[in-house]
Amino acid sequence: MSGPTQGATTEADHPLRVVPQPTPESQPFWDACARHELVIQRCRSCGRFWFPPSNHCQHCWSEDFAWEPVSGRGELYTFTVYRRAYAPELAEQLPYVVGVVELEQGPRLITNIVDREPGDVRVGMPVEVVFLDFPAGVTLHAFRPRENSRTPSTRAV
Amino acid sequence: MYQRSVAIVGAAHSQLGEVPGSTAIGLMADASVAAVADAGLTPASIDGVIVRGPDDEYCFQQQVGERLGLNAAFSTSLGNGGASQALAVVLASLAIEAGLATTVLCGYARNSWSRTRRSGSRKARMNQSTHNRTREWRDSFGYFGEPATHALGAQRHMAMYGTTKEQLGHVAVSVREHATRNPHAQMQSPLTMEEYLDGPLVAEPFGIYDCSLRTDGAGAVVVTETARAKDLPHPPVVVRGFGSHNNLRGWTIDDHMVQTAARASGERAYRIADVSPSDIDTAQLYDCFTYMVLAQLEDYGFCEKGEGGELVASGALGLDGAIPTNTSGGQLSEGHVEGMLQVVEAVRQLRHEYPAERQVPDARLALVSGHGGNTVCHTTLILEGG
Repeated sequence: MSGPTQGATTEADHPLRVVPQPTPESQPFWDACARHELVIQRCRSCGRFWFPPSNHCQHCWSEDFAWEPVSGRGELYTFTVYRRAYAPELAEQLPYVVGVVELEQGPRLITNIVDREPGDVRVGMPVEVVFLDFPAGVTLHAFRPRENSRTPSTRAV
Repeated sequence: MYQRSVAIVGAAHSQLGEVPGSTAIGLMADASVAAVADAGLTPASIDGVIVRGPDDEYCFQQQVGERLGLNAAFSTSLGNGGASQALAVVLASLAIEAGLATTVLCGYARNSWSRTRRSGSRKARMNQSTHNRTREWRDSFGYFGEPATHALGAQRHMAMYGTTKEQLGHVAVSVREHATRNPHAQMQSPLTMEEYLDGPLVAEPFGIYDCSLRTDGAGAVVVTETARAKDLPHPPVVVRGFGSHNNLRGWTIDDHMVQTAARASGERAYRIADVSPSDIDTAQLYDCFTYMVLAQLEDYGFCEKGEGGELVASGALGLDGAIPTNTSGGQLSEGHVEGMLQVVEAVRQLRHEYPAERQVPDARLALVSGHGGNTVCHTTLILEGG
């Protein structure tokens, strides 16, 4: 998941072990990921965004919301570099980066940081979303540094 | 308003460390019997049971009652994770003042070592225990384990305030030094800064010495009206005040991972106890990871936010330091019993039970913290010796 990554957007680079099990509330989020689109719920009453998905606005409890496509740009709020594998299959992925990204719209997502050596990842780094497709038919979001000069992925939003 | 009429009169822990074949209820019974004996009481005097066991054991208080032959006017098991054990003392105090019970057994037990042995590989456990919510938003991204959660906070703190890995190391080294004077501690040999810095990495910035221990063990205390304590063998340790706060929206929301729930919990506790941070003689903090000690020292007002690194590097946590902290060795070096041993250690320090090399001189007020429940629940106790 980290390191030199043509691989960031290939299937082989990230053998997915755990497939997300969408709930009725989160299904639209994962469906959008499959289309390589990042969508977040936004309240039609108070205008604010929230995440993770739920059927009530976290701010005003309105049930009137829309799934809005967002820029996929944000800032790395914090991160950790995994140096120990929590399952045998993860061993060959080490070291990999789990980060918390704050989207421009406010909500924070737990995600992976790709296309950057773990030792060069920094809190506050501007990042943008990319989408990783896996053999199980699942697509996950990840984020990469925004100033990244490598061949841009056509899959980035 | 809380009248401060309640005290801890008995405290004990079971065998700690790797206790082969142990069960949580067996360890709980050991600690409970020892705590009631320490209080100089008999089983018949216990009419309240507030406990917690492993989270997959339903109604642990009922197992305790069954094992020890206790009915209870008031009983429950708690669900605030590592904040539950100090919360048990809060609820016991409120129940006693309200007249719902007179003498309450509070405790916690786990058999983490023995469970791991029985249940096979880490992977098997992981796949068995995953909740859908965790699976969806964490596991899919390779995000496993509590070290990473707290490492996210540590990394943010480092970026905001310039806190260093070596400063985190001062927490690990200081509490290990306390453990070398505690014959019950799992870790008995000193830890040098070099060893700390060379420790294998787990989830950066944490290495193994930033992480608490795996422990089979239990702790228990007996809480009753202070007025009843005059006939008992030990001087009462008065529950002078308490607080709690719970950032239920989550660890990654707002600034919760840097200014933790300890801040608001502590402010309530200081107000109810009518004391200030400078009055506290010793702190027994929930040290699941080194960073949580540093963050809580700031949140509890022993220094300003962002200055925790300098404070711990100054030697403040030592017996003769500015705020002697986790004087048993804590969860990093004594044993991880989810905050219950912090309560037990505070009682022993306030009774001045220890030989001089382990005793906080002139200890009169202790602050005890509990932290947990997906890192967002927090409880504070302020205890007062005679």
